[in-house]
Amino acid sequence: MSASLDTAARLRRLLAILTWLAQEGEAPIDEVAARFDLTPNRLVAELEMAACCGVPPYTPDQLLEIVVTEDTVSTRVGTTLARPRRLSPREGLGLAAAARALLAVPGSDEDGALSRALTKLERALGQSAIDVELDAPELLDTVRAALDSGERLTISYYSASTDHTGDRTVTPRRLFASEGHWYVDAWCEVADGIRRFRVDRIGSATPAGPADPGVLTTPLPDDDAPGASGGSSLEAFVPGPDSRRVRIAADPSLAWLFETVPSERAGDVDGRPTWEVFVAGDAWLERLLLRLGPDSEVVEPAADRSLAPEAARRILARYAD
Amino acid sequence: MPQPDRLERVTDLLLVLLDANRPLSLREIGEQVPGYPDGHEARRQAFERDKRLLRDEGVPVLAEQIDAEEQVGYRVDPDAYYLPDLGLEPDEQAALNLAVAGVHLGEPIGREALSKLGVGGQWPRRGATLPLVDLPLADGLPALPVLFDAVRIGATVGFSYRGEERSLDVAGIRFRGGHWYVVGRDRDRSEARTFRVDRIDGQPDVGAPGSSELPDGFDADGAFDRDPWNFGSGDALEVDVAVDPSEASRVVTELGPDAVIDRTEGGGIVVRLVVTDVEALISWVLDLLDHAEVLRPDDVRASVIARLEAFATTPPATGGRTVR
Repeated sequence: MSASLDTAARLRRLLAILTWLAQEGEAPIDEVAARFDLTPNRLVAELEMAACCGVPPYTPDQLLEIVVTEDTVSTRVGTTLARPRRLSPREGLGLAAAARALLAVPGSDEDGALSRALTKLERALGQSAIDVELDAPELLDTVRAALDSGERLTISYYSASTDHTGDRTVTPRRLFASEGHWYVDAWCEVADGIRRFRVDRIGSATPAGPADPGVLTTPLPDDDAPGASGGSSLEAFVPGPDSRRVRIAADPSLAWLFETVPSERAGDVDGRPTWEVFVAGDAWLERLLLRLGPDSEVVEPAADRSLAPEAARRILARYAD
Repeated sequence: MPQPDRLERVTDLLLVLLDANRPLSLREIGEQVPGYPDGHEARRQAFERDKRLLRDEGVPVLAEQIDAEEQVGYRVDPDAYYLPDLGLEPDEQAALNLAVAGVHLGEPIGREALSKLGVGGQWPRRGATLPLVDLPLADGLPALPVLFDAVRIGATVGFSYRGEERSLDVAGIRFRGGHWYVVGRDRDRSEARTFRVDRIDGQPDVGAPGSSELPDGFDADGAFDRDPWNFGSGDALEVDVAVDPSEASRVVTELGPDAVIDRTEGGGIVVRLVVTDVEALISWVLDLLDHAEVLRPDDVRASVIARLEAFATTPPATGGRTVR
């Protein structure tokens, strides 16, 4: 008996093994065990148990067709329990959304294998009418080409957290889309470390020669296999040197706005809810406070209470002309 | 006697229920599936636990009335349990593996879906050049799978949106600009509407399959309103906004080149927006700080100024740093 898994988890795993095995036909025991994360002995025990399952009168022709040999296990397409099963709405949504998202990456092959797979899925699952749009910033291809060939780039970059534009030379390491924007994690020669850049804030990019091999192997933050556990997520927010926690009191009706930024609900102050917000820089906080409206206020640190009025005066100066 | 393995009993139960061409009574199930206790009450309790386990795992165990002493019978409809074989080619299976590995859904549902489909092939390791996409499905979006299923079965949905009850024939679901939207025909208003899924309160109510009265040829793409300043119910206004060079490329990426009506020396632009929700527009303009300015119409410009003056005159809260 497996001590660590309950019956439901074992059933789920057994069905996954059978369905996968039916597509493969026959597979080495070691490979199947590794793929489904159990020991070869445990795999054989589970499949031998399943091979005894069936319907009355439990004669051999009424049992599941599973063959276990010295080194391999096999079943065949059409075996009961080894056929593809219907997906729950969540699973169907997840699969269709993942496929649509990858097809939405600029430069993906719209007539390729993924597109054909999606068509077959939708034929079986019903019309999903789901669509994913990703931004296509002008310099995405340039950044991707540099990433693929291990080149450095000199970029002019507008930093929203500091509200400044400056030139720097970077080595792209990872490209991803999050919350509707493309980001590149790159080794920055000015910062002498890995920094995250929003691709649509790169004003220009020119190749600057091959990358330093050492830079190409620097570990990236959060560098574990994605999707496997579903646990790790690529957050668009990375704490920088100016990052801090700021506590803001606001009307409860503005809760949705806090949900769109890195924040945590904190206790009430004078009967109003507050949120702890992870702030990347002054300009970023100014934007948030302006969107929250004049009735929201910074609780602490006190030094940040003047940010919104100062930003408002700065913008008003523009309207005074 | 070794302890009987419950998994064996559950597996046999699933096979027997799938094989049944009519609903089976509890007594028949006890006779056909080895491993159930003899006493009626103990058998019932054991079966109830197994039935719950199967249903929790997504197996559609049907309970139907039968003409027998026990009155209720059980079976699993194979058509509701199995998918027709998808016939996926190896390269198509690999592409699906790649999609599920490269797209973060916030939970492992994509991988579980692939295992239900029996998609084989290698699980790809992440390469540096594989673009990754973060696509939130899990957090705060309980409505999303419900809406997805409503499209599939052609059902009307009802939900509460910012305090208003809505009834919608769903035409499609869109991800854009980091948010999920649902587009369809608002039944009470008889017109196309777009809603942000994360602002729907709780779970939508789903009507009967086929209850949607979406007109044939409803153009979901055309009806999809992408910009937040178009989500209002006010009259459409044309608003011109000047944007500095430093933000111009980002704004063009967001709005598309057609919104640009003028270009100034040095790379600045003027964009024209069609606005039904002035508040949403003001929020968007303020997000550009002093890199943008509403040029016209005058009343929208005055609203921006009034909003900013409310900030600028807010007295510092007690203990706050005195400005200048």
